[in-house]
Amino acid sequence: MSSIDYFQLLKLAGPEAVLALAALAVLAVDLIWMREAPIRQRQGAGAFVSILGCLGAGLCALQMPGFGSFANGMLVIDPLTLLLKGALLVLTVFTVLLSVDRDFTEHVGEFFALILLATVGMMLLVSSEDLLMIFVSLELTSLSLYILTAFQKRSALSAEAALKYFLFGGMAAAFLLFGLSLLYGLSGSTHLGGIAEGLVGKENDPLLIVALAMTVIGFGFKIAVVPFHLWAPDTYQGAPLASAAFVASGSKVASFFVLAKVMMLGFAGVHGDAGWRHLIAGWAPLLAVLALLSMLLGNLVAIVQGNVRRLLAYSAIAHSGYALLGVMSNSGEGMASLVYYTVTYGLTTLGAFGVVALVEERTGSASLSSFAGLGRRSPILGLSMMVFMLSLAGIPPLAGFFGKFYLFVGAIRTGSPNIGLVWLVVVAIAMSAVSLYYYLQVLKQIYVTEESAATVDVTGETNIVTCCAVGALAVLVVLLGCFPNLLVGPVLAATGSAGL
Amino acid sequence: MIQDVLFYLFAFMTLLSAVLVVANPVSRNPVTSAMFLVLTILFMAGLFVQLHAFFLAAVQILVYAGAVIVLFLFVIMLLDLKEEQSRRIGKLGSVLGLVSVGVVFVLFNRALSGLPAKVPGATGQPSLEGLTAPLGHALFKQYLLPFEILSVLLLVAMVGVILLSKKDLR
Repeated sequence: MSSIDYFQLLKLAGPEAVLALAALAVLAVDLIWMREAPIRQRQGAGAFVSILGCLGAGLCALQMPGFGSFANGMLVIDPLTLLLKGALLVLTVFTVLLSVDRDFTEHVGEFFALILLATVGMMLLVSSEDLLMIFVSLELTSLSLYILTAFQKRSALSAEAALKYFLFGGMAAAFLLFGLSLLYGLSGSTHLGGIAEGLVGKENDPLLIVALAMTVIGFGFKIAVVPFHLWAPDTYQGAPLASAAFVASGSKVASFFVLAKVMMLGFAGVHGDAGWRHLIAGWAPLLAVLALLSMLLGNLVAIVQGNVRRLLAYSAIAHSGYALLGVMSNSGEGMASLVYYTVTYGLTTLGAFGVVALVEERTGSASLSSFAGLGRRSPILGLSMMVFMLSLAGIPPLAGFFGKFYLFVGAIRTGSPNIGLVWLVVVAIAMSAVSLYYYLQVLKQIYVTEESAATVDVTGETNIVTCCAVGALAVLVVLLGCFPNLLVGPVLAATGSAGL
Repeated sequence: MIQDVLFYLFAFMTLLSAVLVVANPVSRNPVTSAMFLVLTILFMAGLFVQLHAFFLAAVQILVYAGAVIVLFLFVIMLLDLKEEQSRRIGKLGSVLGLVSVGVVFVLFNRALSGLPAKVPGATGQPSLEGLTAPLGHALFKQYLLPFEILSVLLLVAMVGVILLSKKDLR
């Protein structure tokens, strides 16, 4: 048993350690010194400490002593994982900003602490290539998110959402654990590279199929693809806004990345093929079915939604379907497109949730009709929502367009003969056209429909922090769309150096 | 020889009491189920002993059969579960359950029958003897990182439980 350098390990896990300490600091500040302070002040202090923690973690990530795989692959530090950690920190900062000045709970310290701890889980998740570590950090993330969903204790919807999320999540974790243990039994290793080596020659083992199916079910729940999506609409609708936004953005980015890593590295030998009339058993056809179902069901059901939160949930399901194309590409290019796509999608959806928050605060509901006349009431918000919706639909020159473009190009260029994945890309493009309808429905409410009595301002005050965050997100989405190289360049360089 | 007999005994009793936890033909009282869970855990501890994992066996009995089951019983008695007694397992549910058990059995059978009698590279001795010192070494060296993350996970669970179960005074 080799001895390990604890100090070096601490340095390598520095960003996570700083963030965990920040979470404890938030708890301490709120529960010791700010107990009697008014809630707005407590929220301000909590958000301030949380953002400081994120900045500290970011600085720590910039000063990594070296790249490589440490502690038997439990902690992999390379440009790609550092980039993802940075992206997760940015998403966390915006989530924190979205939760300032909202009165959904009195337990301010716990809320921010759990957001930070969930981020710790996600950051460990993206930087791990070991099944044990992947499962533990996935559970850390999930557990924090379940609690964040239940935070609005006065609302029955929040409790229902949390219970559904928790029960589905528990089942999925059980499936995942069963799948992973079979995988360990088959290959004799918990490290993804070792698993791929151990599986050589066992491609037709019936147990491998069970292991693969169970692993996909477990991750399929996390990324909310059909038929494991049932929790998503209720959770998005019932959870406190910042929690829903975090479930939709940060956890998606981390889960997709780790799914891609498990599939591309762990199941490297059993890729199979999902090409048209060229099906070979493996994980690609399995994911192709999930992607197809998600794109169809997500987009078609979103059309009839009258609540913008549920609409965003079904749109998230559809987007998971598109993003699976990146996993199926099974190449460095596919991975790069997946990272760009999920990160820009996370930013966009956070922004959309921010606008929903402001509208909800004014009118008391997130129904489509309460968006009526938003464009005239507050032009900046209307414009931001237009940016987010068009980006989600994939209209150039916004970030969503380039995300989809890279995904589809990556899928078309996969090595399969005949026309390969083109059939799935055609479905995806057709479904994107369908999605334009319901995104434009929202914009129609904002710009065309007259203001009615129901949308009259109830409170009369505007939440300045959220407004600024929404504005910044809109600018980011436009910027990343106009200059996609700002993100694509580093991502491509990073995937190149990661050897994927 | 005696080893094999003990193994089959423990394995059979583990399975039997596990079945009786969820599908007891005589009693549908949750307390009975909990007591059969204790039996399952005890026999499983016997299996651990056979694997030379003595510490794990002791912990299994102390923590699971002792503390956790007491907690289970507390919850069952506090909630006073009456519906569970009258609820029957549906036809569809039992058929589906049996089919999936059969499928899993066939799969495992096929997978195991393909294996050589002795896995190459396996020595008779387990690599990790079941005393506390090697376990501590494994936890604090090889598996240090997941071990530390689990402590964070427990913190999250603690915060969550206090938050969700506490009555808001204001």
